[in-house]
Amino acid sequence: MMEKEKVLALQPSSQGVGFAVLAGAESILDWGVKRTRSGNKNANALKVVQGMIQHYRPAVIVLENHSSVGSRRQPRVQRLMDGISRLAAKYRIATCRFSRAQVRKAFAFAGARTKQQIASVVAERFPELAPQLPPPRKIWKSEDHRQSTFDAVSFALTFYEAKRTQQRAA
Amino acid sequence: MSSEHLPNYLRAHRKWSALSQDEVAFILDCQSSKTVSRYERYDRQPSLETALRFEALFGIGLREVFAGMFEQGEKIVVRNMQLLFEKLRAAPRDPRTARKIRVLGSFLEKKRHVLVGPRR
Repeated sequence: MMEKEKVLALQPSSQGVGFAVLAGAESILDWGVKRTRSGNKNANALKVVQGMIQHYRPAVIVLENHSSVGSRRQPRVQRLMDGISRLAAKYRIATCRFSRAQVRKAFAFAGARTKQQIASVVAERFPELAPQLPPPRKIWKSEDHRQSTFDAVSFALTFYEAKRTQQRAA
Repeated sequence: MSSEHLPNYLRAHRKWSALSQDEVAFILDCQSSKTVSRYERYDRQPSLETALRFEALFGIGLREVFAGMFEQGEKIVVRNMQLLFEKLRAAPRDPRTARKIRVLGSFLEKKRHVLVGPRR
């Protein structure tokens, strides 16, 4: 009675860290956004991530590849992502990074290209997330903080898709 | 470490049910949401009575909700069974001991996966 390998996907943003814990592509164990609004945001976020690592003992941590072409993550968030990678290494956990282009490719089967479309596909797949699906973003508004949860799930699903493709090729 | 079960899946089941910790505390007749939070964070073990209430709430067996705890307990039981089995085999035989050896041997046969690990 072994469980599929657990994946902790993290999507840091200006307001906090969106996270999703999956045990296989069909099973989501936890999700949400940990808000880090005051003080040293990166230090607070790293503490939160450390807590999640200790709680869930994931096999892999999935992050966005902030050095990929087209990535526009702010320098603080980039430093946080690098900090998370170092933290993962300390716990001997593998880190996988995917670009937004890879995520779009993984969701191409559903014709989803934008973050909003991908979030809708995620909400269809995991109906328990549907109540948190943010409404379509108005061009003059900043991104809803709940979007980072859906982004984290999409990264985790991209990881499973990449793994499946790899296994098929082998 | 990756494929081990978590000690419990209370948080996952609660979130799948879209319930808050306050609501779970109310349904279970618990002291407060803090108690539920402690169960979810593995800071505190629920009593058997509370564990059964969780089973009634989620409609899933205890060994699934508390999968990691069950696995850990199963390992201890099987290891001790094995020790007792070996001790009895070395002891002088009487009908009662022979019966115990048969029963323990059959249990151990069924639980061999716990000792050798599951097939991948």
